[in-house]
Amino acid sequence: MHRPRSVRVSAWPRLTRRGGMLVIVGFVLLVVSLWFDLRDILVLAFVGIAMPLAAAVFVTARAPRLAVTRAFAPAVVPAGAWTRVSVVVKNRGRRTFDGAHWRDMVPSGLTGPPEAILPAVGPYEGVLPSGDDTVRLEYRLRMPRRGVAAIGPLRIAIADPFGLARIDRDIGSAHEVIVTPRVTPLDAALGSAASIDGVVHGLQRRTHPNSDELIAREYRYGDPLRRVNWPATARRGELMVREEEQRGDPEARILLDTTLSGRPHSSALRREHDDGPNFGFELAIELAASIGMHLLDRGFRVRCTQVADPDRGVIPGAAFGGAYRMPGGERMLLEDLARVEEPGRTATPVDAETTVAEARVRAREARAPGFAALVDPGEQDVRNLVALRPSLEPAVAFAVESVSQRAVDLLEQADWRVVRVRRPADIGEAWASIAASRPSAEAARTPGRSAPIVAGEAMTDAP
Amino acid sequence: MRPEPAPLTRAQRLALTGASFLLVVIATMALGPLISGSGWWWLCAFVAAGTLFAGAGLRAVRTPPSLVPVLELGVLVLLLTLFFGGASSLLLAIPTQGTFETFGELLAGARRTIEQQSVPAIPVPALSFVLALGIGVLAVVTDILVQTVRMPALAAAPALVPILIPGFIIEAGAEVPTLVLTAAAYLLLLRVDVRVRRRAALASGEGGEEAATVIAPKRVPIVSTLGASLGLAAVGLLTASVLAASTPSISTSLLLGSPSPGNLFARGVSPFIDLGRDLRRPEPRPAFHYFARDGDRPYFTLLTLDRFEGEVWGATERVVDGDNTVDALPQPDGLSATVETSEHPIDVTIDEVRTTWLPVPYPTARIEGLQGSWFWDDGSLTVRSVDSNTGGQRYRATLLEIDPTPGQLRSADRDLPADIEPYLALPEEMPAIITDTASTITAAAGSPYDAAVAIQAYLRGVDFDYSTEAPVEDGYDGGGFDVIARFLETKAGYCVHFASTMAVLAREAGIPARISIGYTQGTPTEDRVNGVQRVEVDSHDLHSWPELYFEGVGWVPFEPTPGRGSVPDYSRPGAGQEQAPSVPSGGATTPGASGRPELDPDRNLAGADGGAIATAGQLWMRTGVVALVIAALLLAPAFLRFAQRRTRLRRIRRGERPADAAWDELVSTARDLRAGGADAETPRAFAERTARRDAFEDADLQMALVRLRDAVERDRYGPPHTELDRDSARERAAALAADLSAVRSALLAEAGAADRIRATLVPASLIDRARKALGERRLAGA
Repeated sequence: MHRPRSVRVSAWPRLTRRGGMLVIVGFVLLVVSLWFDLRDILVLAFVGIAMPLAAAVFVTARAPRLAVTRAFAPAVVPAGAWTRVSVVVKNRGRRTFDGAHWRDMVPSGLTGPPEAILPAVGPYEGVLPSGDDTVRLEYRLRMPRRGVAAIGPLRIAIADPFGLARIDRDIGSAHEVIVTPRVTPLDAALGSAASIDGVVHGLQRRTHPNSDELIAREYRYGDPLRRVNWPATARRGELMVREEEQRGDPEARILLDTTLSGRPHSSALRREHDDGPNFGFELAIELAASIGMHLLDRGFRVRCTQVADPDRGVIPGAAFGGAYRMPGGERMLLEDLARVEEPGRTATPVDAETTVAEARVRAREARAPGFAALVDPGEQDVRNLVALRPSLEPAVAFAVESVSQRAVDLLEQADWRVVRVRRPADIGEAWASIAASRPSAEAARTPGRSAPIVAGEAMTDAP
Repeated sequence: MRPEPAPLTRAQRLALTGASFLLVVIATMALGPLISGSGWWWLCAFVAAGTLFAGAGLRAVRTPPSLVPVLELGVLVLLLTLFFGGASSLLLAIPTQGTFETFGELLAGARRTIEQQSVPAIPVPALSFVLALGIGVLAVVTDILVQTVRMPALAAAPALVPILIPGFIIEAGAEVPTLVLTAAAYLLLLRVDVRVRRRAALASGEGGEEAATVIAPKRVPIVSTLGASLGLAAVGLLTASVLAASTPSISTSLLLGSPSPGNLFARGVSPFIDLGRDLRRPEPRPAFHYFARDGDRPYFTLLTLDRFEGEVWGATERVVDGDNTVDALPQPDGLSATVETSEHPIDVTIDEVRTTWLPVPYPTARIEGLQGSWFWDDGSLTVRSVDSNTGGQRYRATLLEIDPTPGQLRSADRDLPADIEPYLALPEEMPAIITDTASTITAAAGSPYDAAVAIQAYLRGVDFDYSTEAPVEDGYDGGGFDVIARFLETKAGYCVHFASTMAVLAREAGIPARISIGYTQGTPTEDRVNGVQRVEVDSHDLHSWPELYFEGVGWVPFEPTPGRGSVPDYSRPGAGQEQAPSVPSGGATTPGASGRPELDPDRNLAGADGGAIATAGQLWMRTGVVALVIAALLLAPAFLRFAQRRTRLRRIRRGERPADAAWDELVSTARDLRAGGADAETPRAFAERTARRDAFEDADLQMALVRLRDAVERDRYGPPHTELDRDSARERAAALAADLSAVRSALLAEAGAADRIRATLVPASLIDRARKALGERRLAGA
């Protein structure tokens, strides 16, 4: 995602401006002294030539022994926020280390601190450390973009005592700071009432999400039949329903378009023109993050998978096949989203057939709310979504501007609700719009299609 | 753009000042071989210290930086007044108009002393004044470079000035230890600067908002870095010394000719040829006149030649000894108490001769009434000046008249003291005719004195003719071996030939001999003042004669040239029997001469001027060099501006803030043309104003201007732009460069030719920057 800035690290010492001038003056003096036969000036001419060269050898030969540790506070930063980088440079050599400048290498796009002077560091203190062998450097770094930024290594420019030559040395290695996508708080509650059948309803915040609470209560109008607790009913002589489901976590699915396969030649084009982040892709990730955080906050178990392969997590190493749950799930989700690489550089071909089959299998289990964040889905992606549609209720696709009209049409034909999102500020509004329009949409749809499935599920769920 | 260096504390400024002081003072030591004694160095050190530390003090009390150099120059004037102002100053240090007149005189005297003194020079007041002034100015320049411009590396330039001078004057140049010390002082200055700069930058916390907080260790041992500095400096200096010692000398002085001595300080005299040339010139000019008792008609010696090197007679290079003041000249060499002596005053008034050598009779006991610093040389007792010349001098020389009898001369001891031995030196190989002639003449002589008389008699014989022309026509002018051999064959020549031949023959016969150059006794006039006759000496009387040494008597002159001067009594054959008075033999006429030259001993004796053609060539060369230097100085701003433009174009090409570079160049161009571009103007305002100019009616030009403006605005105020790949970066650079050149050429085309030339030669943008660097820098803690 971020490449380190392509600054050539020269292993060779360079002369500073002062050193270079001295060499030039030395040569001029040499010519003058030979020309006019001024033997005495010869010494100065050679001083001018030899000193910078000796200084260059000096800086090359005296490699410092430094240890660098780097810490970030916070280590996980939302995009656009600041993190404080603290670097501890410890001298491991037995000589005082002096005459250096330091600069922390940051990826392009970030503005690291300007080159500054590294104060003199005392020799290594094996016993009775008094801290004179360490320098602490702290600076604030603004992280404008989502991703994993590799901060470091520390570049130390060592100059000789006279400022004639310098050499750049990279000390230590880079450390990663994770920049999570920006999360827009979504306020309109989705499905907070029990009006949605299936796994979605009856959410409560509980200390133990999976505890099997069997406290029954009286049946109230509107409770689904499959929640009737028959033993309790038998005992009490009236219809009793389970207060809570045994399968604790309601699940929601988020499908993220990570392949951008709609534009087959995009990668080639993009490389030529701009190197910046793909705006639409970042928006989709922001959408996914916002929705995921919102759902996790509401107690949902969130599965965040790729559109191209609905069983695969958004990044290769995602835990539990891309399933996140509280507590801790929100951090993991954001970190995983932070690590999502923009496609085009590492395009992975997806085996479409198997995924469709699996989706059908899963569709029988339960109907979960499904949200897709689409950037530029290819045909195969659209087919996947269409295939997933039966297992999702409601099924909302957030499409950024680059989604082709054809894909939108296809999805809408498959009864996906497609919401266009143009910029990050629209996220809250788009979410509110689906929440507000839900009852009517639900009402319009329920008689037609969802009823048989509901019935079917009720039957399977019955003891 | 160069970041503004962090302000320095007083201690840091003081450290820099101290290092600058060391550099200046040690570099001054390089003049050591040129000037005798060490008092002048202490004076220079004091002046440098006063100037530099006054500057440090002024900065400590927060004087505006642009004022400090001016005030330092003021301090320099005060110091000079203190040392040289004398009675003309108020309260010892405050100069008055008289002080500056004194300074003017000192400067004129210094010019003379530089022309006339040989190395090592006596630090006469005039020379000390110039040294103090020069070092003071160098100190001020160093201070400006180190403290105001904050580029101590440039301090090498003023330090090189005193170092380069010896190399052009003496063969050996400055002494190597001094040079190495100077280099060490320079490195110390660099080290102090590096350290001070780091400290100041750390203390000031440069960078503002985005800068890092640096928590430094509390105590860091300094010793190990000190060791590194010393070691590195030692390695560098040692390497340089070894390299310098092992570099072969390539003497290819094509540009200014061989670095022959005597460009500034008169030295190495080979005046024989010039003497002859002067004798052949028409129109005698009065040289000087003197009043002396009737019996006193001495020869006046200017210069004594004592070294014979086969080709040429020369004077031994002698250091002027500051103790040899002319108020008491020593007893002449070899004179014993048995010889009768008497002292007679001779009042000499110089008319037109201009030389640093004073015409005095040999031997002289003392000289009174001279202006300037005059010193006598050991042995020859010739008198020369280090800071003035004979112009307008009026003095009384007390002649020590020696009256040896032939008997004393004949009985002179043949054992010579060691310091006379060099006067016997002859080269190994000599033409046979010389040795043959010598043995023939002196075969019958019973004593050195008799041999000398015989040689003189031989040369004054009828065989020899006086002719100033014959040697030139036959091509044997001068005083070398071959010339003497030819002279002995052709038997025609003038005083130079007679004198040198006699000297060589005398040496061959075992008599120490040397040649004196000066004037014969001159022509008495009818004038009498207080009963003393006035004697005129003119350029006719320029002469050379041999002097021979007899133990117990000293140097006595002989006169081998027929028809010139007066023949001393003791040197006549059969002297001692006749006791006839010496008769001047009509020195005013020169047979065969088509007239006599204008006497110009100054140029004569200063020697080493080369022929007229060479002089003209050198003049051209010098004029050319001076013109080149002046042209270079005049073109320097243009060149700097050009270099700046190249740098910016390169920045555009390389993509180092290209839009900034392009815009800077545009604004600078406008400012050079006096077409606006004030500091406070935003790009937008500038673009708007520029677009209203007549030259920008063309829509394309307007677009180019707008593109440039947009680029710079995006660069300066926009988000940090991402890295471009190479092709698009190159495209962008090319577009920027094209826009820039279009707008620039439009601006240039609009301006008049005069404006364009002024913009090229005197770029206002550079001058503003220089002014800013010198004037508007903030002080430490200000």
